[in-house]
Amino acid sequence: MTEPDPHRRRRAQGALETQVLAALNDARGPVTAGWVQEHLTAGLAYTTVMTVLARLLAKNAVTRRREGRSFVWVSASDGAGLAALKMHRVLDGEQDRRAVLARFITALPAGDEQVLRELLDQAGDEG
Amino acid sequence: MGIFVFLPLVLPLTAWPVARLAEQRLHPRTATVLLTGVSSLMALCSTVCLVLLMVVGTAQLPGNPLPDGWSDPEVRASVPHHEIAGKAAIPALVAVFTGCLCTLLRHHRVRRRAHEALESLPRTEVAVLPDPRPYAYALPRGPRDRVVVSTAMLACLGSRERRALFAHERVHLAARHHRHLLLVRLAADANPFLRPLRTAVACTTERWADEEAARAVGSRRTVARAIGQAALASRGAPVPALAAFAAPGPLPRRVAALLGPEPAVRTWPPLFTAVGLALWTAATGALLSAMFSANSAVTLLLLLHAATPW
Repeated sequence: MTEPDPHRRRRAQGALETQVLAALNDARGPVTAGWVQEHLTAGLAYTTVMTVLARLLAKNAVTRRREGRSFVWVSASDGAGLAALKMHRVLDGEQDRRAVLARFITALPAGDEQVLRELLDQAGDEG
Repeated sequence: MGIFVFLPLVLPLTAWPVARLAEQRLHPRTATVLLTGVSSLMALCSTVCLVLLMVVGTAQLPGNPLPDGWSDPEVRASVPHHEIAGKAAIPALVAVFTGCLCTLLRHHRVRRRAHEALESLPRTEVAVLPDPRPYAYALPRGPRDRVVVSTAMLACLGSRERRALFAHERVHLAARHHRHLLLVRLAADANPFLRPLRTAVACTTERWADEEAARAVGSRRTVARAIGQAALASRGAPVPALAAFAAPGPLPRRVAALLGPEPAVRTWPPLFTAVGLALWTAATGALLSAMFSANSAVTLLLLLHAATPW
């Protein structure tokens, strides 16, 4: 038995999160986890839906409040939150996205940090 | 065609000095255009020569689909060490085309998926995503060119630095930097000797956008601060794929360049400087590549024409 590839697992989780959030965005108001489970095409277990909702809650992508004996869930953000999650998946999934996405900043190796701080001090003094 | 058919495969080495010096010594726009041009031309010539070698190599294989006349001794004699070179060219050419195809597919896939992710948002030029990771990039094509920026990135910048950031990304889009980047990537797939040019162009496009952004906001110092603050805020954030740069990395170099004097807009530096010599070496290399590959192509075509019964 082999360990599941952590990278692949993270991508799978990201896919579930976007699906659950999309379902919540489609809902007209606060809904229960059971409602979400019914409206997902993936046919997930109730516990899985709960896990995904908890993860979205930790990311502040959804909010919940107690109603009766269970929680009802609302998407915290409009389309932007969902877009951010999807974008996360694109960025995580592509190791080599430089060709398409000219990024403002790239990685900052540890040794460069000191150099950069000194340069910024210089810029701050004179500017 | 003799030995000349092999030369375009190694002539990209003549562009190494200029790839190394261009970022520091040339105006970033000149450097980007020049390196992309040299890179594309050399890649094209080297691929043409591989195809010529492949034709000779395939013609000697039993059961090949080419006309019988093509395995004529005279055709084979035109390439030194044709048994080895011809056969080696076949897998090399397969690798070149597979590499280029993968690069193109990946390029389109990332762009399509990134645009899809933004579908639910209003079609504004700037898309702000609520995300605790700081990032900002230019997303070309799709329904429209867009600048994608996360709330975390905006939070770490002041208002002047934000203007610098947006100006920087708009330059990427307006100057179609993704085309330069794609071309040098494809060139590096076609000939591994062109990889230093790919790295150099990745840096010079950023420098180009920095300089233009500095003109747009009227202060090189503001752009320098924006880069520095953004970089310091995002350290520790997982940024894969770019860890292999030698110190000092591209970020401090960009900041230092902005704090220094503005680069002169001069298209061709004097010959007797390091960068002038490097530039002439690369230009000569590119010219020789073009001549040798064209010469070899014509020679082989004439030989094949003579060897083909019709």
